[in-house]
Amino acid sequence: MAATELLSDEGYRADGRRPAELRKVRARMGVFTQADGSAYIEQGNTKALAVVYGPHEIRGPRSKALPDRALVNCRYSMATFSTGERRRRPHGDRQAGELALLLRQTFEAAILTQLYPRSQIDIYVQILQADGGNYCAGVNAATLAVMDAGIPMRDYVCASSAGLAEDTPLADLSSPEEAAGGPQLVLALLPAAGHIALLQLSARLHQERLEAALEAAGAACHALHAVLDRVVRERLREVTALLGD
Amino acid sequence: MAPPARYCVPGERLCSVDEATAGGGTYTRHGFIFSSLAGCLEKRSEDNGLPVVSVVRDAESQLLPDVGAVVTCKVCSINSRFAKVHILYVGSTPLKSTFRGTIRREDIRATEKDKISLGDAQSNYLLSTAENELGVVVARSEAGVHMVPISWCEMQCPRTHTKDFRKVARVQPQFLQT
Repeated sequence: MAATELLSDEGYRADGRRPAELRKVRARMGVFTQADGSAYIEQGNTKALAVVYGPHEIRGPRSKALPDRALVNCRYSMATFSTGERRRRPHGDRQAGELALLLRQTFEAAILTQLYPRSQIDIYVQILQADGGNYCAGVNAATLAVMDAGIPMRDYVCASSAGLAEDTPLADLSSPEEAAGGPQLVLALLPAAGHIALLQLSARLHQERLEAALEAAGAACHALHAVLDRVVRERLREVTALLGD
Repeated sequence: MAPPARYCVPGERLCSVDEATAGGGTYTRHGFIFSSLAGCLEKRSEDNGLPVVSVVRDAESQLLPDVGAVVTCKVCSINSRFAKVHILYVGSTPLKSTFRGTIRREDIRATEKDKISLGDAQSNYLLSTAENELGVVVARSEAGVHMVPISWCEMQCPRTHTKDFRKVARVQPQFLQT
């Protein structure tokens, strides 16, 4: 029922975007000096903060150490004030644990972990404001934070969601669109090589429509890559200019 | 004035492996060299063969103690079987965070190996001082004064003139900083 209302007759979405259009992205690297790397991103009204520590010696039981590569330790949390209704627990619920696991899988695919055997890399992601695509914003912020920490990666990791309104694929779903209950596809992509780090589908979807949704999410990831790339290069110029003085 | 540096981002293709060899901050895949860091491209030509391409960052990234590296440590606890240390420097680069290491008793000297025990290593890094260049560099006596080495196995306190046994290092001149 709701799916028909996602697109107006003129072909616009509820927030005035066209189907393949992303929300406005603003990002900043190096927001904290204490951490080895940090980044902040806004995708529309979704705001995420990521902090990276490491690589450092394994914390906790030493049996966790991997002899041939680094351990990627992730934590995903949502601020108590991030949603419309105040959350009781900022982290530690089942969903946060699951997303942390996905985050870990995503970044194990991207970070060159074999360079740091027996060590640990911590990635902490916090959602400050949740308005759809929380996990994606978290991944994008974490990418920038890992880069800010100077940890070698194969590529950027860009994540974006996509849904379907009847047959039209929608990119970068907002919170009301997610709540409408249609299928939602989350894609994390290493854009230069086109490798998929993570693909998640939240509801049943006909095989024929999967292709279209996947393509829309892929295109959104590539568009996001262009934006993040600009942010990183801007930051590099800034840092080298500061050092030059 | 140096030419404007080329900025690289992770996943950016730099060149083919036929043109250069991969240095730090890069990796190779399918016969091409890619950047793995966000930084400036540096191309150093070698005397013989291909130039080395590397991506360098202004801030030195975290370094890990490596097999065969000479490290500087501080002893934090000692018992009859081993000494526990904190690794502070690798070569001459300070580490951002310390790593724990162990020097076993039989690894202290090349000679006088009275017994070999292959117990379970409790620490990440097993270290050895069984070389002339390795051993104690700085020590404090019970009086709290820096001790002076008087032979390869003894150090003396300048205040109380007590002699203590230490496995003294003959530090190579290139590691001595002014």
